This record gives sequence, C-alpha cells and structure tokens, in this order.
Amino acid sequence: MSRKEFMERLEKLLRDISDSEREEALQYYNDYFDDAGAENEAEVLKELVSPEQVAQKIKAGLSDTDSEYSEQGYRDVRFERKDGELSAGASADSSAGGKQPKARKKETNFWKVLAIILICILVAPVILPIFLGIFLVVIGVALALVVFLAGILVSGLAVLISGIFVIGIGIAQIFAAPAIGIALTGTGCILAALGIVLSAVILWCCIKAVPWLIRGIVRIISYPFRKAGAK
Amino acid sequence: MVFNTGAALLDAIVLAVVSHDAEGTYGYKITQDVRQAIEISESTLYPVLRRLQKDGCLETYDMEYAGRNRRYYRITEAGTAQLNLYTGEWKIYSEKISRLFEGSEKQ
Repeated sequence: MSRKEFMERLEKLLRDISDSEREEALQYYNDYFDDAGAENEAEVLKELVSPEQVAQKIKAGLSDTDSEYSEQGYRDVRFERKDGELSAGASADSSAGGKQPKARKKETNFWKVLAIILICILVAPVILPIFLGIFLVVIGVALALVVFLAGILVSGLAVLISGIFVIGIGIAQIFAAPAIGIALTGTGCILAALGIVLSAVILWCCIKAVPWLIRGIVRIISYPFRKAGAK
Repeated sequence: MVFNTGAALLDAIVLAVVSHDAEGTYGYKITQDVRQAIEISESTLYPVLRRLQKDGCLETYDMEYAGRNRRYYRITEAGTAQLNLYTGEWKIYSEKISRLFEGSEKQ
C-alpha cells in the first residue's frame, strides 16, 4: 500500500465522523508523511499497520474512554482480542466482552444435558408408544408396498402365462377354424406382451425401490440416535 | 520497559515535549521525542494530541514550511498549569516508589 492509497482509505473510513475531525486527522497524517520524508514512507506505513487501525484509534479518541500505553505499544481494552491483534475493518464496539461467553458455555452445557435427560425421563411414557406407533406404521406401509408390488408381479406373470396358453390354443384351432384360431393367437400375443411389460416394470421397480425403501427406513429409525451422537 | 504508561503519564510526557519548543512543534517531531522515553506506535499520538487540544492544554496553528502548510502544536497557559501539576505529582510519586525500593534493598 502506498501513502496515497493509505490516505484515501483512511479518508473513506473516517466518513462517519464530523468534517472538522476528519480534516484534522487527515492533516495530521499528511504532515506526518511529509515530515517523515519519502525515504521513510515504507517504514511509517509499516508502523501505522493499517488505515483501519489508525481510523479505529482516531474514533476511539473521539469517544474518549480508558486506554493504556504499554511498552508493547498502545492498548485499548475495546480493541483487545483473543489473539491480541486488531482485525481490519472491525468496529470498535463489536469486540467488547468477546471473551466472556466462552467460559459460560461450558457451565450451561452441563445443565442443558441434565435438563434434556430429565425431560426424556418425564416424557418417555408418552413418547415411546408414539415412536413405536410411528415405527410400526412405517413397517406396515413398507410391507404393504412390497406385497402390492408382488401382487402386480404375480398378475403380470399370470397374464404372460395365459397369453402363451391362448397362443397355443389359437395355433391348435387354426386348422379347425382358421378365423378363430388366428384371432386367439393374436389375443394370446397381446396378452403375452402385456404380461412381459407388466412383469418387467414391476421387477425394475423392485430393484430400484427396495434398496431405496430400506435406506429410508434405516434413516428414519436411526434419526434419533444420530441426533444424539451429533451433540 | 515492563511498566505500562497510563493515560495521565502519557499526557504529561506529551505536554512536556511540546513545552520544550516555545514556538511550537509538529506531530512527527513530537512522536520522535516521546519515543526517546517510551515506545509508542505512530498512530497512538494523534488521539492524545487531539484530546489535549480539546481540553485547552494545546493550541494549533498552521505555518508554511517547505512549500506546504504544517500544523504546529503549542502549549497553552492551561496546559502549562496542567504540566506543573503532573510534574509535581510525578516527583512525589517517583520519590515514594524509589524510597520503597531502596528501603527493601537495605534489609
């Protein structure tokens, strides 16, 4: 970052303070750069760290609160962070009391767990039958689906077999009564085709649907356990 | 140094530095002078100067230098009074501390 970029950024960051304060501060740092000389520009920029930090200090000075100067440099309680560094662009207020909640979290965690256990014990007589009910309904629906699919498969196979049977009768009848024989053969072909299509669709459904169904059931059943494990 | 410099002490140091130049002095020079005694970052001094100026301890004026306007800081009467208060307090404080340190050494 060059001096020009630094000053432009600083001016932008100071937009929310009064015109006179901003001009005062900008004049000071312009003077500072001038007096340090072009040869020291890089060093001054390094010392100032960032326009964000300079702007924060200017604003902190305007609100005038406790600050301390140590040999490690300037310390301001509002700027203190976990890593002891200023993060660029952060507002001065947001870091206030940033450390406190962490210690408290551990404490409340114990009570939280205790409360959850107590609630579990209290509601168990109600919740357990409900879960059992839901579980049974899921199993029931899955079984019904399987049986339904199996039924269609069986009927599909039956249609296929009867179709083949009708073709046989048709061919046998061709010589006795050609018209009826051909009609029966045709009907048999249609039935056989229908049976094949029905069976194939059901088989395909089973191959696709059964693993999905099993996965779904497993997921539903394991849901409460996974939630508990994630805590 | 291991000791922290409180806001009052920094005010006192800055006032003392500025008071050395009756004609007034400027930001960069003040920073360099203050740094002879304590280590402070370059961005620390501006808020202090601004506060002292608002409190009426310092006054500023612009003077042309090398073809540009340079802002000068000069100590006011109120500033001088404040500085005297600080140096008096410091004398008492530092003597007490020194006596305490020397006393504990003799034991």
